[in-house]
Amino acid sequence: MQRPNLSAWLYVTPLMLVLVPFFLLPTLVVLVASFFETDGFGGLLPTFTLANYVDVLTSAQTFLLYVATLKFAILTWLFTLIIGFLVAYFLVFHVKNQLLAIGLFLICTIPFWTSNIIRMISWIPLLGKEGLVNSTLLGIGVIREPLEVLLYSGLAVVIAYVHQLTIFMVVPIFNSLARIDKRVVEAALDAGASRLDVMRYIIIPMSKSGIALGSTFVISIVMGDFFVVKVMSGGGSASVVSAFYENVGVLQYPIAAASAVLLTLVLIAMIALILRVVDIRREITQ
Amino acid sequence: MRAGAGDIELAGLCKSYDGVTNVVDGVNLRIPDGAYCCFLGPSGCGKTTILRMIAGHEEPTAGEIVIGGGNVAGLAPVERRTAMMFQSYALFPHLTVRDNIAFALRVRGQSKAERYKAADVMMEKVRLTELADRLPANLSGGQQQRVALARAAITEPRVLLLDEPLSALDEQLRVQMRQELRRMQRELGITFIHVTHTQLEAIALADIVVVMEKGKIKQSGPARDVYAYPCDRYVAEFLGGQNVLSGKVEKVGDRFVVLSQPNRSGIQVRLGTEARVVVGDRIDLAVRRDDIELVRADAGSPDDGATALPSRVTAIEYQGSFVKVMLDTVPDEDFVAYVPERIFFRDPFNVGDVLLATWSAGRARVLA
Amino acid sequence: MTVALGEADLPMIRSRRSSAVARGDRRPWTFYALAVVFTLYVAALYGPMICIYILSFQDIRGGLVFPMKGQSLHWFIDLFTQVRTGDVKGSFDRSIKLAALVTVITLVVSLMAGLAFRRRFFGDTVVFYLMIGSLVAPGLVLGLGIGLLFQWIGISPSWYTSALGAQLSWTLPFGVLVMFAVMSRFNSVWEEAARDLGATRWQTIRLVVIPVLAPGLVAVALFGFTLSYDEFARTLQTSGSLNTLPLEIWSMTLNVTSPSLYALGTVTTIVSFVIIGACIGAIIVINKRRGVRATGH
Repeated sequence: MQRPNLSAWLYVTPLMLVLVPFFLLPTLVVLVASFFETDGFGGLLPTFTLANYVDVLTSAQTFLLYVATLKFAILTWLFTLIIGFLVAYFLVFHVKNQLLAIGLFLICTIPFWTSNIIRMISWIPLLGKEGLVNSTLLGIGVIREPLEVLLYSGLAVVIAYVHQLTIFMVVPIFNSLARIDKRVVEAALDAGASRLDVMRYIIIPMSKSGIALGSTFVISIVMGDFFVVKVMSGGGSASVVSAFYENVGVLQYPIAAASAVLLTLVLIAMIALILRVVDIRREITQ
Repeated sequence: MRAGAGDIELAGLCKSYDGVTNVVDGVNLRIPDGAYCCFLGPSGCGKTTILRMIAGHEEPTAGEIVIGGGNVAGLAPVERRTAMMFQSYALFPHLTVRDNIAFALRVRGQSKAERYKAADVMMEKVRLTELADRLPANLSGGQQQRVALARAAITEPRVLLLDEPLSALDEQLRVQMRQELRRMQRELGITFIHVTHTQLEAIALADIVVVMEKGKIKQSGPARDVYAYPCDRYVAEFLGGQNVLSGKVEKVGDRFVVLSQPNRSGIQVRLGTEARVVVGDRIDLAVRRDDIELVRADAGSPDDGATALPSRVTAIEYQGSFVKVMLDTVPDEDFVAYVPERIFFRDPFNVGDVLLATWSAGRARVLA
Repeated sequence: MTVALGEADLPMIRSRRSSAVARGDRRPWTFYALAVVFTLYVAALYGPMICIYILSFQDIRGGLVFPMKGQSLHWFIDLFTQVRTGDVKGSFDRSIKLAALVTVITLVVSLMAGLAFRRRFFGDTVVFYLMIGSLVAPGLVLGLGIGLLFQWIGISPSWYTSALGAQLSWTLPFGVLVMFAVMSRFNSVWEEAARDLGATRWQTIRLVVIPVLAPGLVAVALFGFTLSYDEFARTLQTSGSLNTLPLEIWSMTLNVTSPSLYALGTVTTIVSFVIIGACIGAIIVINKRRGVRATGH
């Protein structure tokens, strides 16, 4: 089977010509840089030192950053999962008209193709101290003082994440639910299963792959993000990557690189854990 | 050498995908120019693979394919001057009927005017002229088949290869399009090779029927020969219409044998000719289902020289022009009589009735 | 006889069917509950965006929050005339060019990769996981790596070299994944038919594969363009001295506190919507012409 391999590689060569110099090599560069020393002016001294890792791993700040980032990741994951599942379930099982379902699905996906930053700052007129939410609540007399926690807080960060990332749950869960043969559900109901049984024994197990895929997206994006945290927390919270960005800003490349390597390892571990549930390759290519 | 003729010879043709098992296993066959040949067999018997090797979409692992006197190994489909009509047609969904038909001319670099003129002639021939500007999705199954046929025929091939051409159609249309295929074949005057798993299709259409099993040819010949004189149990059962009795020869007499089976012995069958079998042989006997007459047990014994086996009716199916009566004549094996409708309803049987299944000597054949 | 039995069966089957239909007609309470969830979700999805579009049309007294102060196009004019807000026009120009470039490359490369991945080949898993890795890698980290790499090689980063590559490392995995979905509905028998009719490999791709896949390719283009046009994290450290539009917006969020920020949001979203509308419209038209029902699953 020499020929099919050759022509297949011919076809993926352009892809590799992008992935190697713009993903593989940069990743290796970061890995290598994490063992170098800095001259303090942005230059790197090609030595081999573990000092950067020692710095990162022994710093109490690292621990706090991970706790903060993981907190955001888990909260975001939970909310996107619940909302995403309900939305996808509604579209697949409750909207009987297929054309309408596709239309509604498109409505959910369109914001994905618009600017994330704009969607994030669009919360300002709503959540700000004089924003729509506060003025409404003040107006109907639920609160006396404007709520400060709405914007520039952890809450605002989670809201912005959920707002941006729920789509990453909706799409894969929608796909896996759409693949369930409706007759299977009818057969289960005919056999006397309750609607709860159908949910527990048929729908959730069969949507596992979609959930896993969505979770991978959501968690890797939150763990790798810094600008939502920066803008929406008003500088009050930090994340692993925002600390990384600050190190880069002061030209501390080796330390930044070491923390990036650590983050990558943590990410890989988390994704590997998720993907134990599902063969992602089969799921995507089938 | 008669170049250009659609005369096909397969010699020792083998195909293996894994290097271990042969999907096509040593096939030898000669199909004369202008014949309508049907490959018949269950799915996975290698018939489609043979078709694809003739077409040039797959290379044989061993053996030769000779078309019109020339070995076609390594040639592209166009150079072989074969054309294929794919299962479910593979019409290009983005092209109109006219552009689909003209496709082969387009890739040969013919001008638009030139190729449309040829396509229009071809569309006339298959009665598609009114549909010229439609897209495939807006055609019925039968129309799609005509487009596929026209698209394949426009290259003026010497051999047309048809892969399950009727399987995408519903029952009624299938019979209609079957005639259409035969008409086109006569009109074009080229060799048709048609792959199917439906015996009815094969015997209705073909000059030559080739029955296949597990990569090998079991029997090939004119439709009537294969149907009426199957060479073995497999062919008999695949083509249907035959009862096959198998067993060990207990006794050989003057124009009769007595068979025994594990659960029944003393099955005496009369033969038209001297049986070339000896006691102890395991043999298969075939009797056509429409040769069997059913006689009530109390109606007196049948003619001399006929076989008569006592049987009980186990099921009855009405088939329109005849009635299918299933019997327990031999344990563990199907035994069926096709009784013409008019005869059956003169004195209908019921399930559970005991009767004699009879047929005259000479109707039973010993299979190889 | 069996015939009679078969007829006796029919009414029973019919009655069971009709009961099933009746069951489907009565909507369970979950339908209404989920419809509310869905409506709230869509409202939360679009509501905030609509707020800033409205607020961007205030007059000179306008602030960042409601209530609306007057109505005018003041902040849109301000956006393109004031130096204070930075080089919006230039970055807009750059972003469109870059997105167009990324779209073309993403289309070609994704199509080729999609064709290759139809069959298993030696090393396919490596390529696949490289792609997934590139997709989930933190953009900022990748940006630093690309920046350092260019620094070591001695090429100065710019939007049409390093940023182009950085964006492709993000749009290509998406493009290829969309291509996988598109390819799963592509029957290779069309290629075989083309070959049978004498088409060369290139003719087959040009006359059959590309036109048949057209709706899917439009979708890939949509991903390529919008993902590049809005890309931020990977571009931040690779664009060199000149900003792309999202970088411009980013710097505005840090130092501009007037509705011109909203005006920019409105402008860039209009561009996105035009692109999205054109792509979805094209897909619907192509599919309708071919008599395929909707964009179908």
